[in-house]
Amino acid sequence: MSLLTVKNVVAGYGDGPAILNGASVDVQPGKVHCIIGPNGAGKSTLLKAICGMLKIRSGEVTFKGESLKGLRPDQVLRKGICFVPQERALFPKMTVRENLRMGGFSMTDKRLLEKRIDEIEERFPILKERRDQHAGTMSGGQQQTLSMARTMILRPEIVMLDEPSLGLAPKIVQEIFDIIRVMAADGITILIVEQNALMGLRCADWGVVLDLGRTLFEGPAEEVLADPRIREAYLGAKKAA
Amino acid sequence: MADILQILILGLALGGVYALMGAGLSLVFGVMRIVNLAHPSLIMMGAYVAFWGFRLYGIDPIVMLPVAMVILAATGVLLYKLVFEREAKSAKYSEMTVLLTFAFAMVFEGALATAFTNTQRVTTPDYAVDAIFIGNVFIPLGQLYAGIVSLVLIGALALYLKYSRFGYAIRATTQNREAAELLGVNVNFVGLVSFAIGLALAGAAGALVSFVFSFFPSKHWEWIAILMSLVVLGGMGSILGTVVAAYILSVVAAFVGFFFGATLSTLTFFVALFVVLLVRPQGLFGEKPELA
Ligand SMILES: Nc1ncnc2c1ncn2[C@@H]1O[C@H](COP(=O)(O)OP(=O)(O)OP(=O)(O)O)[C@@H](O)[C@H]1O
Ligand SMILES: [Mg+2]
Repeated sequence: MSLLTVKNVVAGYGDGPAILNGASVDVQPGKVHCIIGPNGAGKSTLLKAICGMLKIRSGEVTFKGESLKGLRPDQVLRKGICFVPQERALFPKMTVRENLRMGGFSMTDKRLLEKRIDEIEERFPILKERRDQHAGTMSGGQQQTLSMARTMILRPEIVMLDEPSLGLAPKIVQEIFDIIRVMAADGITILIVEQNALMGLRCADWGVVLDLGRTLFEGPAEEVLADPRIREAYLGAKKAA
Repeated sequence: MADILQILILGLALGGVYALMGAGLSLVFGVMRIVNLAHPSLIMMGAYVAFWGFRLYGIDPIVMLPVAMVILAATGVLLYKLVFEREAKSAKYSEMTVLLTFAFAMVFEGALATAFTNTQRVTTPDYAVDAIFIGNVFIPLGQLYAGIVSLVLIGALALYLKYSRFGYAIRATTQNREAAELLGVNVNFVGLVSFAIGLALAGAAGALVSFVFSFFPSKHWEWIAILMSLVVLGGMGSILGTVVAAYILSVVAAFVGFFFGATLSTLTFFVALFVVLLVRPQGLFGEKPELA
């Protein structure tokens, strides 16, 4: 019943050493999944491997029973998996509206694209207000909103977000998580990587702990939050408790 | 007063030509991160295409302009496929292309010198030696036509980049290559086409330059310094910046030339280059340099 299965994936950059060394994730349809782990654990690398930016050296990535191995990013996108990379996912000197159009670059039906953009603008009024402004001149929170809203143009099945809250003020972080909930309520399956592990896990249904390129634990988010060893090693429990 | 207007118009006409000379360089840098030191030598090739058509068959250089564009675009496709595409994976790509394009500049110069000798050339269609007077203001037709044709081509490029689907892809790749790729842009193909367009613009500029300046194969070294100052003042990779910088510097150079003589006029560009690098290295429209 999984939508996407990542199994024992080994991958790295170019001819360099393997960064992922047996990473596994079980992605359930309609759920929010949060990957946590220390800096350099390979969280971003895992998302890049899934979306086709990195070659998978061994292991399997299957989406609805079909292997994604060897596909290019645009092919993975066409299957319905959108990836928003860490920071700078936008085109800073294109207007907000143009950025939204780029979100539908792979669509052939221009009229449908414009219609979807209008819908997005209705749902996120700030984007309508700022439509002719360069994306790079907006605040960090607005830029992140645009990056996330942009994925919805394609009506994807899975959206992968790499540290959507990075560098944002706490109040704005709340807004970003609210958008994630809205997307999930729309039936979009979400896979996020979060530095802010407590917050990410509280918003998520499923938790994945990645360290040294390996999945150490995955299970219901409450279980991850409750596990004393994980709390101590990865959630800074001493401070939070 | 008439003098001032006169200088301004001459500066603006030449500014258009400089803008066209720099636009291709800027486009290629923006998309590919190639610092194409061979760009002026490719403009020179365009000039010789026009010269060859004019000398052998008496064809007007403006009529030869599309021919030069096609020949240079084809050269671009070939160069890209044979050299730049293969090296694209190298981590030191930008640095490497500086050396590569420097070598190409010397090769093209040698080839042109062999084919056409090092004699000074200029094409001389009737309008190149004609002028019109508006009141007291004297306007050489050659510079006027070259300025207008440049402006038309730059306008067409701007519209193409702003409104066409492929224009979106080019701008997106320039601003964020990884994000563009993730959204389904074939960035390698964008690189190829941008390179071809950049060289086509060089060809067009060459055809216009052929009746505005006299030229000989090794003159491209002088042009590279001028073009670098435009691209740096405009902000590396910003075409709009390059165009604005071309008009500004060309007008300033025209005034400097009028008041202080022709030698100092060319110096304007070099002084501007130094000043910009010292005061505002990101140029008018560029981003703050990243500490990479
Ligand atoms: N483009 C790259 N080329 C080579 N190695 C890289 C590249 N990007 C990351 N790495 C290496 O891969 C390892 C894992 O990096 P990754 O970005 O996946 O970590 P992360 O878990 O996302 O960490 P962070 O919390 O800092 O974002 C690191 O050792 C890093 O040095
Ligand atoms: Mg990361």
